[in-house]
Amino acid sequence: MEADPPPHSSTRPMLRLQATSFSGYSAPSLSPSFKLDEGYSDDTRSQPDKETVSDDAMVLPDWVLSQNEADRAGTFRIGWSRLPSPTANSWPPSTTELAYSLLRSLTTSNLIAVIDRLNPLLHMDPVVKLPPELTFQVFSYLDTQTLLTASLASRSWRSRILDSGIWRVRYINEGWRADMHAIRNFEQEHAEAMSPLTRRARPQHSDPDLGEPKHKKRVLPTWFASRANKDGANGHTPTEADEEGDHHMTDGSDRRGSHSLSVTPSSLPRPPSVLIPPLKSALLLRCPDGTVKVNWLHLYKQRRRLEANWHHGRFTNFQLPHPSHPEEAHRECVYAIQFEGQWLVSGSRDKTVRVWDLETKRLWHRPLVGHSKSVLCLQFDPSPEEDIIISGSSDKSVIIWQFSTGKKIQQIQNAHSDSVLNLKFNHQYLVTCSKDRTVKIWNRQELTPLDESYPRVSNTSGASYPSYIVDLDDIAPSDLETSIANGHIKALRPYTHLMTVEGHGAAVNAMELRGDEIVTASGDRMIKVWNVRSGACLKTLMGHLKGIACVQFDSRRIVSGSNDNTVRIYDHISGAEVACLHGHNNLVRTVQAGFGDPPGADEALRLEAREVELEFIRAQEAGAPVELGPRALRRAGHHVNTAGSRDPRNISAIGAQIPPGGGGSQWARIVSGSYDESLVVWHKERDGAWKVGLRLQQEHALSNASRAGLSETAQATVSAQAQQLQAAHALTALPAGQGPAAAAAAAAATPDQNANDETPPANHAHNNAATNGSPPNAAVNQPPPAQAIAPAAAPQPLGPHMIAHGARRPASLPHSRVFKAQFDSRKIICASVDPRIVGWDFACEDEEILEACPFFQVL
Amino acid sequence: MATPQIILTSSDGVDVAVERTVAERSVLIKNMLEDLGDSGEAIPIPNVNEAVLRKVIEWCEHHKNDPPSTGEDEDNRRKTTDIEEWDQKFMQVDQEMLFEIILAANYLDIKALLDVGCKTVANMIKGKSPEEIRKTFNIQNDFTPEEEDQIRRENEWAEE
Repeated sequence: MEADPPPHSSTRPMLRLQATSFSGYSAPSLSPSFKLDEGYSDDTRSQPDKETVSDDAMVLPDWVLSQNEADRAGTFRIGWSRLPSPTANSWPPSTTELAYSLLRSLTTSNLIAVIDRLNPLLHMDPVVKLPPELTFQVFSYLDTQTLLTASLASRSWRSRILDSGIWRVRYINEGWRADMHAIRNFEQEHAEAMSPLTRRARPQHSDPDLGEPKHKKRVLPTWFASRANKDGANGHTPTEADEEGDHHMTDGSDRRGSHSLSVTPSSLPRPPSVLIPPLKSALLLRCPDGTVKVNWLHLYKQRRRLEANWHHGRFTNFQLPHPSHPEEAHRECVYAIQFEGQWLVSGSRDKTVRVWDLETKRLWHRPLVGHSKSVLCLQFDPSPEEDIIISGSSDKSVIIWQFSTGKKIQQIQNAHSDSVLNLKFNHQYLVTCSKDRTVKIWNRQELTPLDESYPRVSNTSGASYPSYIVDLDDIAPSDLETSIANGHIKALRPYTHLMTVEGHGAAVNAMELRGDEIVTASGDRMIKVWNVRSGACLKTLMGHLKGIACVQFDSRRIVSGSNDNTVRIYDHISGAEVACLHGHNNLVRTVQAGFGDPPGADEALRLEAREVELEFIRAQEAGAPVELGPRALRRAGHHVNTAGSRDPRNISAIGAQIPPGGGGSQWARIVSGSYDESLVVWHKERDGAWKVGLRLQQEHALSNASRAGLSETAQATVSAQAQQLQAAHALTALPAGQGPAAAAAAAAATPDQNANDETPPANHAHNNAATNGSPPNAAVNQPPPAQAIAPAAAPQPLGPHMIAHGARRPASLPHSRVFKAQFDSRKIICASVDPRIVGWDFACEDEEILEACPFFQVL
Repeated sequence: MATPQIILTSSDGVDVAVERTVAERSVLIKNMLEDLGDSGEAIPIPNVNEAVLRKVIEWCEHHKNDPPSTGEDEDNRRKTTDIEEWDQKFMQVDQEMLFEIILAANYLDIKALLDVGCKTVANMIKGKSPEEIRKTFNIQNDFTPEEEDQIRRENEWAEE
């Protein structure tokens, strides 16, 4: 039987468990002598201090008494003293029934009051209940926003959540990489630098060694008076003066009227007056034992801020050389760059290789002279073990230089029968590719047939081997050893030609070497994957409609850029094309992708791909218009999105081990550079499809960079010169948007011996490619110099960009064609027709980001 | 079919019989049996009371045929708080029992159960405001309003 609800309760249907909105009323104590007003509920928790007896002992008597007094239960009168002690575990089920019946007899408001008081028994704080290693695991399942929200629950939650280890997990799971070696070194350095004595003397969280912004903002350290103790004894809790002289702020809470800064007598227990950890994170954490650790929360946060700068296009520009040392610049356009850490190496049409210090933006040592024609490609390794630069040239040779001294160590003359277009090396091999349509493999270490990396002769591979390469199948192992011992078989000296791989029908424009595999991209529109030891062609990928200019390979995907103006992404395992990105309106000359795969990505990617496939099959079975081919879909009004959408209508291939778009984390990024004089930074949408995030104009960057770092006078001069140039070029009808820097570039890019190069300009090349089979990208490596001398040369065929721009394009030199771009976690550096190398720095001169950058690695 | 039984003694002194293969979901018990051999004597589980022990055994029974976990799994588990349906129902218990299960899984070294428990708690935190989290877990807010403001502002970096 249930008691009639009191009249009030029906008028308050919205009554909530927490009756805080009634705090204005005086909350009645549930003591036996108190006459309950049932018109509203009480927040019993607001007055825990008035309870003189423990909750357990009081719960039941209160209900019973209040019911007796209100005399509503009617059917339910019992002497409460006869009940057994209410410890839940020992109650037999009948007791539970009894308690339930009792509770059912209560008015709603009383029931709520009871529930409120039972709340602490039913709801408990995991941070109190579980040790840190277990809350660590709980929190490691949560995303950043949830964690930060949860950190506001209480001080103890905040201190558990802001734990460095949790943010290390977050950082790694975002797919970001960190330089663990740099972190360890940094921790050791700082541990040594700080003796326990000096540590004591410094403020804990504003250590000058941390490199926090000094001049910018001296952040108010987070000393706040705490709110009152929970026992309510103190109206407010003032704070002690800090012995380290840092600022203090009182709580200033109006509710408690606390406005005086007073000193707490030392006899009182010190309240939690300081936020621990402090409000502002710092890069270093000092452990009680004197060791120093990098604070992953701080790294995470700075990386997020850095990524936000990328996303929103916030950057500063810089150039090599420093604007105040223009004499250090290449004399002509720059075809190849690579940077690593502090160093950047560039190769130019001026035949030199230059090494730059990225910190000073200055030339490091004198230009490396040795090639007799344009330097088209290079790779370097500044580590002391390698200390090497290898460059390839249109003089058909390859030169090996010592990085640290710039000394020429060796030159491979006539490495190919035509320009060396690209090269890559690892510890064992150097691989070169050429306009002569071949790929060649060379050893980097002395090699005998007994070595693992000695070529495996294969008769079916299409590879050919010099006569001195021994076919290991033709010779018994014992004979082999004898032959080597008696000198009949000599060890191969480093940089000996091991094999020539043929298979492409046009110039091999670009290549990658990774593990045992070589990936090549050619003007014949194909990408091929080869085994580096046998020269066997493992697979051929197709899809591009014109010659391919660049390729990159990360063991899961192959990314390429082409004369068909697209960037395509292929699944490395199945060879399926998983995305085609349209965003440039001219040849895509350089591409780099960072997918940011978090740990365990293989499995996740496979599952994702499978899910998309099932979706496709389901759609197919349901009779949806899928797999009709793009044209049919277009007729049906569907605009096919090839950038990685998972809509079944956009799926063109199944069986891939990676989902459309190639998968990867939400921070994944592709940077592509084009003859349309721009770079595109591609971001991933929520649905996994790629989208143009930023479009960076080469000439804008140059114009920004040339002004940066100059004195005001110098800037004025530069800008005056630029204006003059601009005025001059206005006469020659530069298309809209061509800035002063481009004009300067035009002036600087003087023609040289290549002027009479027989190769036609790129635009001609790709138009002819389909019919005559000539290498479409042959001209890629030689900008159309003919135009420079003879602006009135034959009219160029209209490219799509001209239509897109809706502007006529004069037959003048392209000023800022992009040849090569590379990005790391904070910057993009780009080589172009302009002799200056230009960069976009997304750290944006933010000191906290700059401080954390040395520990970040590219996606 | 029936595998040998072993006896576990809970912290409150109750003997619980369980199939050895089921009990061996617990790495602690498995190692103990391997190191000491099955002497037939009851194994004391001093940190887990009967109610929790029975609950844990119920879970082990249901999962006795699961393949052992690998490192790769662990990486993947980290990324999702998805819980399979049976486990979700299993975890519909009061908070005290939930935390006790987590503690027991940790002590007994039953990784998969620990994961499920921790994910359950994580899911209780997801999508809630700080005030809702406090209510869910009966947490006293010990920040001043000013501190809360300061922390909110400091957390803005994550909102872009």
